Amino acid sequence: MKKWLIASAMTAALVGTSAIAAPSGTFKQAHEYGYGDKSSLDPASRGRVMQITEKLMSRLIRPDMKGSPSPDLATSWSANGAATEWTMKLRTGVKFHDGSAFDAGDVIYTFNRVLNPENKSPARSAIKMIEKMEAIDSATVKFSLSTPFADMPLQLMDYRLRIIPEGSGDSIATSGIGTGPFKLVSFDAAGVTKLQANMDYWEGAPGVAKMEIIGIGDGQARMQALLGGQIDFENTVTNQQKPMFASSNKFKMMEVPTGNWRGLVFRTDVAPFTDVRVRQAVRMAADREDLVKLIMGGAASIACDTPVKPDDQYRADIKCPQDIAGAKKLLSDAGYPNGIDVDVYVATLEPTWPILAEAYQQQAAKAGIRVTIKQVPSDGYWKDTWMQKSVSATRWNERPADSALHEIYLSTAKWNESYYKDADFDAMLAKARRELNFEKRKALYVGAQEHLYETTGTLIPYHVSKLYVMNSRVSGIDAVENHTIRWNKVTVK
Amino acid sequence: MLLMLIRRVLLGLVTVCIVSLIIFAGVEILPGDACTQFLGEYQADDELLAQCRKDLDLNRPAIDRFAEWAGGAMTGDLGLAVDGKTKISLIVGDRLQNSLLLALCAMGIGVPLALMLGVITGLWRDRMPDLIGSTLAIFAMTIPEFVSATLLILIFSIWLGWLPGIVLTSASAPAAEFFPEILLPVIVLSLVMCAHIMRMVRSSVIEVMAGDYIQMATLKGVPYWPMVFRHALPNALLPAINVVALTIAWLLGGVVVIEVVFNYPGLGRLMIDSISDRDLPVVQSIALIVASVYVCVNLAADLLTMLANPKLRTMYTRK
Repeated sequence: MKKWLIASAMTAALVGTSAIAAPSGTFKQAHEYGYGDKSSLDPASRGRVMQITEKLMSRLIRPDMKGSPSPDLATSWSANGAATEWTMKLRTGVKFHDGSAFDAGDVIYTFNRVLNPENKSPARSAIKMIEKMEAIDSATVKFSLSTPFADMPLQLMDYRLRIIPEGSGDSIATSGIGTGPFKLVSFDAAGVTKLQANMDYWEGAPGVAKMEIIGIGDGQARMQALLGGQIDFENTVTNQQKPMFASSNKFKMMEVPTGNWRGLVFRTDVAPFTDVRVRQAVRMAADREDLVKLIMGGAASIACDTPVKPDDQYRADIKCPQDIAGAKKLLSDAGYPNGIDVDVYVATLEPTWPILAEAYQQQAAKAGIRVTIKQVPSDGYWKDTWMQKSVSATRWNERPADSALHEIYLSTAKWNESYYKDADFDAMLAKARRELNFEKRKALYVGAQEHLYETTGTLIPYHVSKLYVMNSRVSGIDAVENHTIRWNKVTVK
Repeated sequence: MLLMLIRRVLLGLVTVCIVSLIIFAGVEILPGDACTQFLGEYQADDELLAQCRKDLDLNRPAIDRFAEWAGGAMTGDLGLAVDGKTKISLIVGDRLQNSLLLALCAMGIGVPLALMLGVITGLWRDRMPDLIGSTLAIFAMTIPEFVSATLLILIFSIWLGWLPGIVLTSASAPAAEFFPEILLPVIVLSLVMCAHIMRMVRSSVIEVMAGDYIQMATLKGVPYWPMVFRHALPNALLPAINVVALTIAWLLGGVVVIEVVFNYPGLGRLMIDSISDRDLPVVQSIALIVASVYVCVNLAADLLTMLANPKLRTMYTRK
């Protein structure tokens, strides 16, 4: 009897939620129209409009609210002992927006398309270790890798690796067919792209009935649209614009930590930074807490020269308070008792660089590091200044721990901006990729970051936080990066 | 008269050619090309860049590419955008229509209003209507349009919530769909142009009203209002034709700042987008259209003035 009561209560509750869950209202969001007339719905192309593809298509594996791999179109995964073979179990009963069923063939087709060098997909680097794919049955795929890769699931979380129907390569750029919570009604990158709720979405019908994703290139115009209620959500609000929304009850604000960072690169192959003690000294002289307050108004979290984002599962817990006496001692040990002179190159390309350079100039002066700020034009900065001058400002967007460490610091990395060459560090990374035990793997990545903190030439004072501003009629937006938000949970009043 | 017309048309053609050349050179000098812009300057692969340049045929000398485009343009074919797929006439067509719509609306409100205000302030010179009108006009003229645009958005769409702040309609939408979004940009444009024309009309009315023949008519006992309408205004409004023409040309040329602030899908915004995409053929085509509009409208204005003014007409005929 009791059991039956509970069961009926649960049914009632279920009926209740499903009644509430009938999709209603229209959610409006802007995109920057950053790719102009090359904007596309092909998730793996360079012109993909992320704000649209993230609602139309799903990945095999997606980040959960903490950034760890969680099931999307794949329900479970496992690797062989050497981490060279990965088997994915796929979700069954899922349908694409055109009614066709999702199965292993679509996965293999999608990834082959990304891997084909002719397609020039920027997502290729994320999965280029895949050598062979094989459909064990319609709901099981086996990936064979060219190198051991313990964190393959993290790679598959890349926001561009969204599954499209088999054979749709030529039409996907405009058809936008996927398995996501919303389906395409009409696509107009420069104007309004209309989406409607996908009632067959595998997690259940979404909360809003319609979405409009609007191309607004000008940042100021986007702010005005948000202020005037023409769009509901914006994530490019800067710290300076914060006060416009903070005082109003028409808006809600959310600070979301990201792995994006700005910093200063001291090239490790140029004197005096060839001496590891000098590299330690120039970083020790920075008061990061102050920098966060001065430059970001508090909207950032302190980093100790690790590129790994603050809430990443592999982030090392390092402390790095300013130490003027220590910096002075290191400099004099290295043969510079009277300090050093440094030219720091910046541009307004990134508006916070000049402020960072000036704040650092003040702080470092106390340790005998005399900074001269050289401001150069933004046009051509990446070609003529970055990786050319001995000290220059830099910025990176977030990526998984493994990619960040590899792409910025591995001796052979193309964009190794500090010319950092360290065989021990390289070995730790290689070992981590092979290690299947999570705790051991974590220890290796943490060790690599700690080693980096001892030896790196790159000052990473903080990771910036992104400001999400939304109309107060919107609820259900997760405080995570854009592509991780569960858009099906969003509702509007 | 005919000779003059031919000469003006030829001069106009030369102007258009020179403008095309200058624009082409200007965009070509900017650092980066269509490929570096698209691939992103700092993570672009040399291999990808080379491939992209080959695909888009950017390796030929600039002169070659200009000659090809210019050759096509002369036969009325604007050719393809830099991606080699999209017809420029298609992209530009919609945008030109939208800019026309914006211009027509602004003119429809601005020109009659300006003429009326100009006549009123001129007739009531130095009295209340004039003081108020002239002061407001100076404000409207001196406040940059992006400031007045932002102010109007703040008041009407953010505080009062009466009008949508920016335009969210697609470029290819029919004209009717632009209402009511188009209202704020139209008001801003009307304000600016209204002030210019009004001041011109005002001084011209004052001048005419002080003329000998007006005094003569007054002395002869012609009633005030019939005199104003029959004798003063036809002469006073003549010089306004040129200002109105210039303003129209300015409006049709794509009011870049207004279009960007309001996100209006007209020629001006297309121009900005194309410059940042380094899409030279599109930039060229817009410049060509705008320059031609300028030349034509000015020519039309001169002809109109001449037809209306016997003095000018006979001066040219004698030559």
